Amino acid sequence: MATKKAARKSLSLAPVLDLNEANVLHGKLMGLRGNPLVIDASAVERVGALCLQVLMAGAKSWEEDKQSFTFAKVSDAFAKTTQLIGVNIDHLVAKEI
Amino acid sequence: MDMNEIKEIFFQECEEQLAELESGLLRLNDGDRDPETVNAVFRAVHSIKGGAGAFGLDDLVSFAHVFETTLDCVRSNKLEPTQDVLKVMLKSADVLADLTNVARDGGSVDQARSLQLIRELEALAKGEAPPAASALEPAAPKAAAAKPAAVAKAAPVEPVVNEHGFAPVAFSFDDFGSDDDETPGDLPAYDIVFKPKSELYTKGNEATLLLRDLSRLGEMSIHCNMDSLPPLDQMDPEAAYFSWKVSIKTDKGEDAVRSVFEFAEWDCDLEVTALETGETTESDSDDLPMQPVPFDLSALDGELDMPLGVVEEEEQIAAVQQAVAAAEAASNVVQMAASASRAAASDKGAATAAAQNNAQQASSAAAQTIRVDLDRVDRLINLVGELVINQAMLSQSVIENDSNGVSSINMGLEELQQLTREIQDSVMAIRAQPVKPVFQRMARTVREIADITGKSVRLVTEGENTEVDKTVIDKLAEPLTHMIRNAVDHGLETPEKRIAAGKNAEGTVKLTAKHRSGRIVIELSDDGAGINREKVRQKAIDNDLIAADANLSDEEIDNLIFHAGFSTADKVSDLSGRGVGMDVVKRSIQALGGRINISSKPGHGSVFTMSLPLTLAVLDGMVVTVAGQTLVVPLTAIVETLQPDAAAIHSFGATQRLISIRNSFCPLVDVGRILNFRATQANPVEGVALLVESEGGGQRALMVDAIQGQRQVVIKSLEANYTHVPGIAAATILGDGRVALILDVDAVVSASRGQSLQLESSLAAAG
Repeated sequence: MATKKAARKSLSLAPVLDLNEANVLHGKLMGLRGNPLVIDASAVERVGALCLQVLMAGAKSWEEDKQSFTFAKVSDAFAKTTQLIGVNIDHLVAKEI
Repeated sequence: MDMNEIKEIFFQECEEQLAELESGLLRLNDGDRDPETVNAVFRAVHSIKGGAGAFGLDDLVSFAHVFETTLDCVRSNKLEPTQDVLKVMLKSADVLADLTNVARDGGSVDQARSLQLIRELEALAKGEAPPAASALEPAAPKAAAAKPAAVAKAAPVEPVVNEHGFAPVAFSFDDFGSDDDETPGDLPAYDIVFKPKSELYTKGNEATLLLRDLSRLGEMSIHCNMDSLPPLDQMDPEAAYFSWKVSIKTDKGEDAVRSVFEFAEWDCDLEVTALETGETTESDSDDLPMQPVPFDLSALDGELDMPLGVVEEEEQIAAVQQAVAAAEAASNVVQMAASASRAAASDKGAATAAAQNNAQQASSAAAQTIRVDLDRVDRLINLVGELVINQAMLSQSVIENDSNGVSSINMGLEELQQLTREIQDSVMAIRAQPVKPVFQRMARTVREIADITGKSVRLVTEGENTEVDKTVIDKLAEPLTHMIRNAVDHGLETPEKRIAAGKNAEGTVKLTAKHRSGRIVIELSDDGAGINREKVRQKAIDNDLIAADANLSDEEIDNLIFHAGFSTADKVSDLSGRGVGMDVVKRSIQALGGRINISSKPGHGSVFTMSLPLTLAVLDGMVVTVAGQTLVVPLTAIVETLQPDAAAIHSFGATQRLISIRNSFCPLVDVGRILNFRATQANPVEGVALLVESEGGGQRALMVDAIQGQRQVVIKSLEANYTHVPGIAAATILGDGRVALILDVDAVVSASRGQSLQLESSLAAAG
């Protein structure tokens, strides 16, 4: 039974987000659907395009679910890679108030 | 796995790539214009370059690089693969093979030839005719070579002198060796559309790394197209959805831009558009939200960036092993070499893709083949040979103790015999290989000799996929090379003479292989002048090989060229007259249990026919008794067996006897007498005649005392275990443990023609 207000979940990303991790990450995200999600990308040392695809598809689905999907913390490598490949995550990064 | 093993695998892979390269070039030479053929040729050179880079084989890399650049021109239709172009490329393939061999086995290559080809290749790539030989510097690496073009583009300068007497000087920021001095606004700009396919990722390639390398070329802005990205539940996490549009300003040239993607280009759609200076990029006009890429990407410099030559070998091995583990899914040894290149390659992330590209080709083959050490196969074959002998011994002792032949043991033994036979056939099939690699090597020989002799020669091959035992293949190359040399050097006429004779200026040498009655028959024919019988005869008389008044048939004269020290070339040429005559060729063919024959038509050319056993391990033979000795006669030689009738035997001359078979006469040869097993000829009526066909085409009836039976025997070399015995090809071990000699039918037939066997007194001991 879905509660009216789902509990916020969090997900810490692995340091290496390569081809092997894409399926794992996809599985984890699928298991977290329906809940607001906070992602911790502070430990990420390397991230590939496949995992970024999965994350962006996640953001899209969460948006459709009208749930929040935010990055609480991102590592320098993660931020630079998204910039490098032109994936804008600014709107997903939690702003300190 | 240590570095040397990985390197060895790389060299094995190189051999395959070189074969692929050569056959592709030959197909192009035959007029094949299939883009896939050009791609296959390009990939072969590319893979060699990739692997060689990983092992720091610089000579190989730089040559492969120039070669590849020219091939790329063919691939992109900038260069028409004419006969002249292909001639240079085929020679380059030869040099590439030499460089590979030198890298593996040491030694040195013909530097002058290699440099000359580099110049010719570069000239072709620039759209010029190949230059004449001159002492120029070797090719510069690609990046350096690309620079002048970019400089010219960046600073077009008119050579005029202004009113102050100063002439403008071509100037490049590159001269200062610092990227910081660049003025991006004036630099050439490129628009790049990069759409990876899913394969790019599944092969372990990474779009982010490619984009990072691209960003290092200059100032870059990027737009990531996510339109095709489905919602999470509908997506395949390993499929490619993102694509990119990139604008970059760089002085490194379009080649440098393309080279970033060069190892991934088969797994992505790539468009690179060079924009005129000052032209607004397409993306600007498209209003795509281009995002500038930060200059400082140091945070992304991951562990894959391992500068070549700096890392210690141990680290390199560790990296290789890591890469191997990652690529294990498509398990194939070739991939290890490929992965090695991935791990150790230069900081161009593109090298990663090289490995994956190799791996792709390897994995498609991985499903069908495995590499097995030849020693293991040999051990297996030996064991199966022992099994066959053992099984024969067992059969024999059962038969001796079970005279009526109905016991269940006997029945079981028959099944065992069949099984053993099947196992043996299967094991033999493991060693069977197509003759293609040897034939391909011959193509090179033909090219080189044609070059030296100034003749124009075309090699036509047929039946390259005919299979034969590996040992036969290995030993075939040398005699074949010599025969090809002979065919081109002596057989074919000069173009002028050919034209005068009404022939095509280009001579044809044809090499064919086919299976015929359990043997492989290799034919080498040329459409040259044929054997000059007068000259051969005279030479034979001069050398005291024959008497001046000897009456020889055409066939016999032709076969004189197989005599030791026989050479009809008036001048000893660099090629054929190196003291290695056709007698050596004949001996090596005979050592393989083969026969060689020549037939020649004056004015039309010669045909050499070699017939070789498919395997050197087993033989189907008829076991016979001759003067109390047990001999084995190869079944392939026997046409029929008959019990001679006294009325059919006719005396001829003092010692010769003939047997009349269906109204024709055939010489009768007493094997026991020829082999000196007995002093006088046996009575033919008391024995059995085996009608055999010799490779010369003639038939002989071999007299033996009795036939014991027919069986497959395991060949044991007499040369290796004892010494060569004339008239005997090899030995075998029979079911009762005794050694039986295998008859060399051709030698016996020749001996019966009057060429006596030089028997050694040790023969009796061997029997």
